[in-house]
Amino acid sequence: MNRVGQDALQTAVLEIRAAVKDVRVASDWMTRFAAQHAVPESQINRLDLCLNEALANVISYGNAAALSEPVVLHVAVNARQDLREAAVTVSDAGVEFDMTRAPINERPHSLDEAKPGGLGLLMIRRFSDVLTYRRHNSRNELTFSVQWVSASDQAS
Amino acid sequence: MPIEFEDSSDTLRTIRISGRLDLAGTDEIATKFAALATAKDRRVIVDLTGVSFLASIGIRSIITNAKSLQQRGGRMVLFVGSNEPVAKTLEVTGIDSLIPLFSDLSAAEAAVAA
Repeated sequence: MNRVGQDALQTAVLEIRAAVKDVRVASDWMTRFAAQHAVPESQINRLDLCLNEALANVISYGNAAALSEPVVLHVAVNARQDLREAAVTVSDAGVEFDMTRAPINERPHSLDEAKPGGLGLLMIRRFSDVLTYRRHNSRNELTFSVQWVSASDQAS
Repeated sequence: MPIEFEDSSDTLRTIRISGRLDLAGTDEIATKFAALATAKDRRVIVDLTGVSFLASIGIRSIITNAKSLQQRGGRMVLFVGSNEPVAKTLEVTGIDSLIPLFSDLSAAEAAVAA
């Protein structure tokens, strides 16, 4: 059997608390899993940025339910297609918030005009290749993915 | 130490930050960074070459301190050297258009002194 076919889709799930301390736990877990499944470092860095911003949003703006219920993380690496993909889903129990539709602050023209906030949303949109949202079982499910063509595919 | 500094003169200070500027990392350096960066009439180079990860919370800290410094008559520039991931994050978020960003240290020194 084709080895790529056997190992095509690799997934893992982790539950964390919506707490600053657990953000690094999540980053380390995602990074380790992605590296084990040959996701390039540059793509892992993009996923890590998105993951941090998504969790920071839950921690900073989440309501009591978001902060008291576990945050569920799902990571998937898909090597079945010519176009490789790694995706992370962040599921939280907070009030409905669709990051894919939330408005992004206008870019300031000077340092005086710059206001803190809004950068996380911009970063998730810019660093992900695909960004989707759904409300499911009273939870927010934000999925961001990065895509790349593997070096072996390019050489063949 | 995730943050340290060097004063080259009475007005020029280099602040070197290292490690992850995520929620925890930024919180760890926030007080010291503000204290070091916001002296009156100070010119400050923030050296980010040792930063392995830059999240939006870290960028917010840089912006806040750059604004505060500017309001006190000072100026901040950022030095990233060959740290491409950090440079890209700053460019993608448009921070390089608000705070001058340099990969060359002598260019950063010239700009902050101008």
